[in-house]
Amino acid sequence: MNRFKLKDIAFSYSPDVSIFEGLDLTFDSQTTAIVGQNGAGKTTLVKIMKGLLKPSKGTLSIDGESIADQTAAQLAKRVGLVFQNPNDQIFKTNVLEEVMFGPLNIGFSRFEAEKGAREALKKVGLESKVSDNPYDLSLSERKLIALASILAMDTEMVIFDEPTTGQDFAGKEKIKAIINELKAEGKLILCILHDMDFAADVFERTVVLNQGEVILDGQTRDVFPEKNVLEKAYLEQPYVTQIAQALGYNDSFIHESELVAFLNNKK
Amino acid sequence: MSVIEVENLKYRYPDTTTLVLDDLSFSVEKGECLGIVGENTAGKSTLCYALAGLVPHFYKGAYGGKVTVNGLVVREHEIATIVENIGLVFENPFSQMTGAKQTVYGEVAFGLENMGLPRKNMHTRIEKYLKLLDVYSVKDKNPFDLSGGQMQRVAIASVLAMEPEVLILDEPTSQLDPQGSKDVFKVIEQLTGKGMTIILVEHKMEQIAQYADRVLLLHEGKQIDLDTPEKIFSRLDLKEFGVRPPVVTSIAQALTIRYPDTQLYPVTIQEFKRLEEMK
Amino acid sequence: MNTMTLYVERNSPIHRLDPLVKLLYVAASILLTYILPEPLYIGGILFVTFLLLIIGKVFRNSLPIVTLSMFLIFSLVIVQGFFHPDNVTELFAIGPLVFYEEGLYVALVLVMRVLVMVGAFSLLILTTATDEMVERLIKKGMSPKIGHVILSVLQLIPQMRATMVKITDAQRSRGVETEGDLLTRVKAFFPLIGPVVLNSLNETKERSIALEMRGFDSPMKKTFLNEAKQYPHNKLIAGLITGIVILGIVWRVFG
Repeated sequence: MNRFKLKDIAFSYSPDVSIFEGLDLTFDSQTTAIVGQNGAGKTTLVKIMKGLLKPSKGTLSIDGESIADQTAAQLAKRVGLVFQNPNDQIFKTNVLEEVMFGPLNIGFSRFEAEKGAREALKKVGLESKVSDNPYDLSLSERKLIALASILAMDTEMVIFDEPTTGQDFAGKEKIKAIINELKAEGKLILCILHDMDFAADVFERTVVLNQGEVILDGQTRDVFPEKNVLEKAYLEQPYVTQIAQALGYNDSFIHESELVAFLNNKK
Repeated sequence: MSVIEVENLKYRYPDTTTLVLDDLSFSVEKGECLGIVGENTAGKSTLCYALAGLVPHFYKGAYGGKVTVNGLVVREHEIATIVENIGLVFENPFSQMTGAKQTVYGEVAFGLENMGLPRKNMHTRIEKYLKLLDVYSVKDKNPFDLSGGQMQRVAIASVLAMEPEVLILDEPTSQLDPQGSKDVFKVIEQLTGKGMTIILVEHKMEQIAQYADRVLLLHEGKQIDLDTPEKIFSRLDLKEFGVRPPVVTSIAQALTIRYPDTQLYPVTIQEFKRLEEMK
Repeated sequence: MNTMTLYVERNSPIHRLDPLVKLLYVAASILLTYILPEPLYIGGILFVTFLLLIIGKVFRNSLPIVTLSMFLIFSLVIVQGFFHPDNVTELFAIGPLVFYEEGLYVALVLVMRVLVMVGAFSLLILTTATDEMVERLIKKGMSPKIGHVILSVLQLIPQMRATMVKITDAQRSRGVETEGDLLTRVKAFFPLIGPVVLNSLNETKERSIALEMRGFDSPMKKTFLNEAKQYPHNKLIAGLITGIVILGIVWRVFG
């Protein structure tokens, strides 16, 4: 089923530089990573999907229903977007209030909002910090607050913009768990990434953008072996894939465990 | 004598109760690249601040022990003196642009003007470092018009132009895109090749394994270990400190591919391949 | 990228003048409008100022600035024309509005004075690169810190605008309506302004660390990348301007 559909999208910031010309993309229930250089159009794409930018041409729909006329605030009920820099949104003096802000805006009652906020904070592992001031916490914790503030809105689609920057090993593991949990709840997951290892490890599908065009789109397993196409977009392969190729195996390896199993069998 | 000597360094930020740096002692030799690893609360950035004199001069708080850089006791000298011996580049390229200059060329000159370097020496120095960091072609642009990767390289050029003995890079690529990171690491490779003393904080263990001669493992402000990358990444308890080894090392562990003499695991693809073929 | 400076790069004799001389001209021309507060003299100064704008090839660029100040000029005319305390001689009336000669005379002087100020400042700003001016002032003993504040504010305001866009996007994503009636906009105020303030505080801290790392607080005597420019006839022009001001004072006292 094609849940979120972009058809023939055109967009430009200024008349002489166009970002997209006739972009078609559909997102179904698979978790999807979008990778590419800065300037490839990743952020522009998700802003269009979120209604923050209006395409000059083309249609957008969720489950067949057109959303082209909805403002970002109206779309907030359906599409959640977690921004890269939490400092661009945090303004309340305690964590719980900050996370309740979104749900209250889209019509949750105070009771529902608090319930949603507490659940979201539990998911990101900050339940013990509900009454702290967000600015007393570290940047990586603030990133998790921003994430919780979108999760609390319980949207059917969640888009992440670079969730792993500045996160350590434990932080990445936590985000991985959250993505898998959201997927199990039946939500549509989309994620902009610079971290190829994380993309390979977590996402079912990967879309490679380069200069406003989709140059690769498919199962993550089929995308990352395409070394030459990735190089065109200035991207590197995940380390696991690199190791496998350095050892002379051209099969597709995107998980550490696969390569280990393969090498073990070979012995 | 070592370029950096840290003796029983303890530090806590003002109005806090826990030690961010808890009794650290180590030294760094000239020409060495020291990697610092640990989870986000380990105290890596604070340690960088302490080496560059921001602790205790910019950040006050409780300070104990002694840090010596290039023979200067950090605590007893002003930051302006210390930075001529040790330079710091951090993650956000944007906030490292001073805003005082309208060209990249001027941006690199800023530190030299403050140092009081005679004008006749400035141009050769600026051009040398613009070229070294591969940003000479954008020298007349406004620094704020550059891409993140270019901005970060201008930040490194600006610090290097002051010709410090040691360069600290605190997660220099974590806010850059893949190409930007690659360009910065290319520069790091060149600098280590030239024998620059470098301190590198980085989340990507593959990069640490590639460039560091030794690795300092921190956890909650404490010095857990300081040893070669092979030794550190072969530790079986590494994950308890919030650090995962390079992918290649954990594959080697799963397959017990290791150096026959030391029983340690390889940390780079090249070594992995060599040991696997030997087997 | 637009920075906040209005400097227009042209090749003109005015551009080649010492920024300090231009600053002196601004002071002198404004001072003269007070020393000799009659329309004839002020008109003369105004004429010279506009002539200099033309020589500096920036007359056209000064027009938007002058237009902007029209609002101020217009309100001066109204207030003085109607309400000046010395108003006795009725000049003309538009419906119930009566204009008096005395009030209009005062208004005329004020309007011309404002035009001189705007014109002279435009001359300075449009023909002088900000960093050249600040560097010149620092060499003359202004604190480098104040100099840095002036320059970095000019550079960073456009950057703050970009941050503002990001913040607006982030809050709209959480259901904040930023467009619509007054109430909607008022409600959006705190979610928007809060992060702006906190963000700039954060950035300021990081930037001061970066400045420290470039030896900004160094006790060494600063040197400068750009050679001190040779300004032609600097002393002569400065002397001329000062002479005219003194002449004006003499004229006023004895004339």
